[in-house]
Amino acid sequence: METKQIILAAVGAALLGVTLAGYIVAKRGGGAQPTKKQRRIRKLWFVGVLISAYLTAGSLITGLSGKRSELKIEFEMFSERVPLFAGITVAKTTVLGAALLVILTVLMLLFRFIAVPKFTEGSPGRLQNVFELIVETLDSFVGKATNPGMTPLLAPYMLSVALYMFASALTELFGLRAPISDLTFTFSLGLCTLALVNICGIRENGFGGRLRNMGGPVPWMRPIMVPLKMVSDFAVPISLACRLFGNMMGGMLVMELLKGVLGGFALGLPAVAGIYFNLIHPMLQIYIFVTLSLTYISEALE
Amino acid sequence: MTNAIAAAIIMAATVLGVGFGMCFATSKAVESAARQPEAAGRIQTLLLLGCALAESIGLYGFIIAIILATAK
Repeated sequence: METKQIILAAVGAALLGVTLAGYIVAKRGGGAQPTKKQRRIRKLWFVGVLISAYLTAGSLITGLSGKRSELKIEFEMFSERVPLFAGITVAKTTVLGAALLVILTVLMLLFRFIAVPKFTEGSPGRLQNVFELIVETLDSFVGKATNPGMTPLLAPYMLSVALYMFASALTELFGLRAPISDLTFTFSLGLCTLALVNICGIRENGFGGRLRNMGGPVPWMRPIMVPLKMVSDFAVPISLACRLFGNMMGGMLVMELLKGVLGGFALGLPAVAGIYFNLIHPMLQIYIFVTLSLTYISEALE
Repeated sequence: MTNAIAAAIIMAATVLGVGFGMCFATSKAVESAARQPEAAGRIQTLLLLGCALAESIGLYGFIIAIILATAK
């Protein structure tokens, strides 16, 4: 430990002692029913306790682990690779994604065979109500975005994709690199959307109808328009993949940067930032991914 | 060093453009929601979509900047 950190830790500990004593005295003084002013003083002492505890713990951790605050991030575009067999390597995020898929499948099967048979027609329980709400909301959302005939095909797919994406975004909380911040993961999801666009288009209009739809309203321009439309269709997975990847990567980088800058003082504050960058931001992006996929599909359905 | 400068220029340009684009979209959305409060829900969905599309342009620049900044 350096002298600077020792001094800082000592000051922090002294402050902690003083504020703790002050808090205890303020708590005693008020009795069972404190006045408004006494309550405010108590709150102030409590904030002081928190700040000095943060200072002490941060300087102790900085001194003991030697973690410095630095504006530097270790960053690779693609994740590290682990050897699989016979010289073939796989990206770590791919392994994690596959493991997540297995876990989610097992959970869903358990849910299907344990919880669902208990669901009743007449008087739904608490769990059944929640799930009926989710399913009905999603059904009406998908039905409005495309058309009601497509709901049985699209709604389960969209829900499972959203669940998978959210689960893989949550793995970042465990200190792993999330599969969703890997370009291969997002690009494969984009390819799924492209496949769905074509499947739904052909199912609705037939193969010729899909071609006619791609060609636009003017008959003689169709030979030119179809290849152009195909190119723009192939841009769909690229744009979806880059959007999701860039957003998730940006969130990850901000979190890494925050942790790097705070160094040993990274206590509690990254968790507050993580509420946005690890929970709300992925949810918003998943919503946008699903909405855009449905928009592309409904374009093919016309 | 050159890479870092190039990445910075790319980020500055894309952020400028995307910021203006999203600000126009949002200002129009606020205006129309104030004029027709009953359509606010629909406008919000459309705004979210449009902002996502505008944002993705910025993200392309971001990805290119990252590739440039981490290139060895």
